[in-house]
Amino acid sequence: MAEISFPLPDLGEGLIEATVLEWLVSPGDQVERNQPLVEVETTKSAVELPSPQAGKVVRIHGGPGDKINVGEPLIVFEVPDNTAGIVGTVPKEEAPKRRVRLSAVLDED
Amino acid sequence: MSGRHTGEQHHHTVEGTDPQLYVEVHEPAADAGLRPVLLLHGFSSSTKLNWEDTGWLAALLEAGRRVITVDLPGHGRSGAPEDMDSYSPSRIRADLLQVAFDAGARPLRDGDPVSGLDVIGYSLGSRLAWEFGATQPELVHRLVLGGPNIADPLAAFDLVAAQRYLADGTPIADESTAGLLKMAQGLPSNNIFALLSLVEAIKGEPFDPAEAIPHMPMLLVAGEKDDRAATMPELAELGAKSGSLVEQLLIPGRNHSNVITSRAFKQGAIDFLSV
Amino acid sequence: MSNAILESEAAMADGTPNHGVEQLSMQQALNRALDEVLAGNPKALIFGEDCGRLGGVFRITDGLQAKYGTGRVFDTPLAESGILGMSVGLAMAGFHPIPEVQFDGFAYPAINQIVCQIARMNYRSRGTMPMPVTLRVPSFGGIRAPEHHGESLEALFAHVPGLKVVSPSNPHEAYHLLKYAATRPDPVIFMEPKSRYWQKGGVNFDSADGSDSPAGDSPTGANVMRAGRHVTLVAWGAMVARCLQVAELAAEDGIDVEVLDLRWLKPIDEAALVASVRKTRRAVVVHEAPLTSGLGAEVAQLVTQGCFDTLKAPVERITGFDVPYPSGDLEDEYIPNIDRILFGIQRVLEYRRG
Repeated sequence: MAEISFPLPDLGEGLIEATVLEWLVSPGDQVERNQPLVEVETTKSAVELPSPQAGKVVRIHGGPGDKINVGEPLIVFEVPDNTAGIVGTVPKEEAPKRRVRLSAVLDED
Repeated sequence: MSGRHTGEQHHHTVEGTDPQLYVEVHEPAADAGLRPVLLLHGFSSSTKLNWEDTGWLAALLEAGRRVITVDLPGHGRSGAPEDMDSYSPSRIRADLLQVAFDAGARPLRDGDPVSGLDVIGYSLGSRLAWEFGATQPELVHRLVLGGPNIADPLAAFDLVAAQRYLADGTPIADESTAGLLKMAQGLPSNNIFALLSLVEAIKGEPFDPAEAIPHMPMLLVAGEKDDRAATMPELAELGAKSGSLVEQLLIPGRNHSNVITSRAFKQGAIDFLSV
Repeated sequence: MSNAILESEAAMADGTPNHGVEQLSMQQALNRALDEVLAGNPKALIFGEDCGRLGGVFRITDGLQAKYGTGRVFDTPLAESGILGMSVGLAMAGFHPIPEVQFDGFAYPAINQIVCQIARMNYRSRGTMPMPVTLRVPSFGGIRAPEHHGESLEALFAHVPGLKVVSPSNPHEAYHLLKYAATRPDPVIFMEPKSRYWQKGGVNFDSADGSDSPAGDSPTGANVMRAGRHVTLVAWGAMVARCLQVAELAAEDGIDVEVLDLRWLKPIDEAALVASVRKTRRAVVVHEAPLTSGLGAEVAQLVTQGCFDTLKAPVERITGFDVPYPSGDLEDEYIPNIDRILFGIQRVLEYRRG
């Protein structure tokens, strides 16, 4: 298995840091893509960050009240080795499906 | 984000002028078969900041609720009308009623869980929701009021000082006014002059919760450290005295700006509205 | 860098050659090939975006930096013109660069370095400055990736004098073709079919000449992957596996399809192509790239030239469309699917002269 780390994303408005309010996942949890991960607060607003991907949570950085800079590690996921980092989706190998049938009179000249 | 987005500037004129409100109706992937939920954001906020980025919209859709969002005038993607009347709370309530009906909300009917409308407000949105519930008893089923206050902090806003500050930088003496203005200026998307129009209109129609009290069940929610909602128990008492079912939920450790993302708040609201 | 190279020469001793037959994914097969190339040639260097510490976004260079050091396997800035420009200088200085362009669409910023320098330096220098550059390009579509991650550039590269272009279709081919390409004195564009990276297959390490393939006795030229009598499907990269599926389905209808894996797209193995179509007398060429000026046109011309007297139908081309490669949701509509290929076969089967 490989690990893939996600930093605190750019929260816009020129914000450079955020304070962790509450983690909604714990190490060991299997999370889905877009599942809420953590509540953080900036000087402008409080936001809930959705998970950028599916995977098992290995580590989380910062407890309630801790400040994290944009770009610093926020969460680490465990993913299968051969899919780590890929842009896109690993294709599924499916049984071939057809609608077209061939018909031909083959003159064996 | 699942659901159909029918975002558009609202073109239904209620009182002669187009309020230019930006309305979206979000459909859940799996409908729980309950009435729609109208979300009302706070001063200097927006649907995006108050409800989307905070995870509310996703949580409500996940719970199978159909959600109506609207940006208040001068906020978010709504227009900023020139006329002062567009910002008055009574006019906004009339526009909201039209928005709700256009989005398919229908008057309550006994035993019909699809009829009626649930409303969740935050801060200024809670004031509007309180008044909306009090004046629309045949439509509103339940209310959730976040960060509520017995008086509107905007009513005490020093408009003259704010305008002077914006004109030539003269410092603002009143701390609350300075804080609110700083908050409003913090977001580049805000139309600061439209927000001041809203403040002026609110000063003309200050919040008087005793004037009309909602009779539907209410859930009042605030952060334990929310100074702006310190009067929440008084509001609850006002409702209870007039016979309303009022529940209160205090979220530990949170204040007026960060209680909004709280899972306990969201879950409390979803549970309260799931009947 | 010189210290790192000395270190890696020490590590070279344990670059154990592989033996026997193993079931590997194409990722693993390519990784093994690169491992052996690094072990066997101290002048071989691997670099590109995320090639070092991460081991590549597709894990093709996984573990190689740890084994050979940061002097031989390293990350570059996100600048393809720099990656290929550096390859020019390194090749001039006697190294064998094996750069990676992370995705096909990111080769465009390096076209100047590839076309104007790498492809013609040997020619320009009258043979005194060969460019042994093996450029690995994860290529073609099929993984529902965003724009610039699903392009088919073979015709573009094949058009440039001085470049060789090759694309493997399975793990065995991937291993042997990469090992071969990375030992050539000439620039080779190595197009890896990214949608086949995870597919496992037997790799016969002992057949250094690729003799595990039905007709392949050499890492050069085309391979007949399945012999047939009625029609030849010509394909490369990921389309070979699809054509083999089509051949199975056609057999249910009594049609005997030959599948020719072209492998080398520059130079094209004209002799093998003509031999196959002379036998079947019908040809359908399948590729993911857009139709117009695609390599299918070149194949059709070679077939026409070599088989005109016996050909029973015009060569059919089943290809992508003349549009930018679409977003993931539309990918299945764009890439030639089984039915479109069957239609192409039907058209050449029912064609009658006059």
